[in-house]
Amino acid sequence: MTQSSAKQDDSRIDRLPQRFRRVIAVTTLVGLPGMYVWSAFWLTTSVPNLVWGQLSFLLIGATIAGSFVLYRFVRDRASMPGAGLDERRRHLRDQAWVLCYQILSAVVVIGVAIVAILVLGFGRVVTLDATSVGAVALSVGVLIPILPIAALAWIEPDPPADA
Amino acid sequence: MARPTERTEPVLHNRLAVLRTERGLSRQDLADALGVNYQTIGYLERGEYNPSLELALRAAEYFGLPVEALFSRRPFTPMSEQLYAGARRTTKSDEPHA
Repeated sequence: MTQSSAKQDDSRIDRLPQRFRRVIAVTTLVGLPGMYVWSAFWLTTSVPNLVWGQLSFLLIGATIAGSFVLYRFVRDRASMPGAGLDERRRHLRDQAWVLCYQILSAVVVIGVAIVAILVLGFGRVVTLDATSVGAVALSVGVLIPILPIAALAWIEPDPPADA
Repeated sequence: MARPTERTEPVLHNRLAVLRTERGLSRQDLADALGVNYQTIGYLERGEYNPSLELALRAAEYFGLPVEALFSRRPFTPMSEQLYAGARRTTKSDEPHA
């Protein structure tokens, strides 16, 4: 027998429409890597430091704020083994993990393909400096734990209107 | 490849909403009785989630009905239609033969 969560515990975040949740999920996942991409681009331009700082702060803020909202929405529903989840929620959790695997596989395959094309196809030398490795490590370290939560927030359908 | 969000399973029709309303139960009441989240009852009633065999049997047990009275692969005939069809048959059989 599984639990039933109290209806009165539902907050505004719990009732976020799927469309908004999807926007938040994408913004959260794109924010931090976006900041690194923007910073790398900024180094090649003459844009003032103030603009760089503000935009970087906005992108990092998107990841931080988005993570809080997604964690608040999903709570412990994305975790394993999922004690206290009913069968529908366990099923959704499993779907979210499948989606995570698909996303990660796609990212790894695309990343490797790009490097392979650059190195083997165009004879380019790809170098990794400390900054690049740090950026990738931090993005992966931050985004991997968020991915199952974002995936669950993405696939969870809107609740029935009168529920 | 099917996306995880795509609905791939066939629709299972059910009479949960009718039975729940008939007995004056809220979704929360039924959810508590069946040990699921109240939103799950909503998804079940809308046919957006197909229950496991165990949950279907638990619901049937709770309502004291056979499982096929609650769930069907084909759309149910409305209960009112069934009731009145039954009543019409009874009335006709009660009429004296000419």
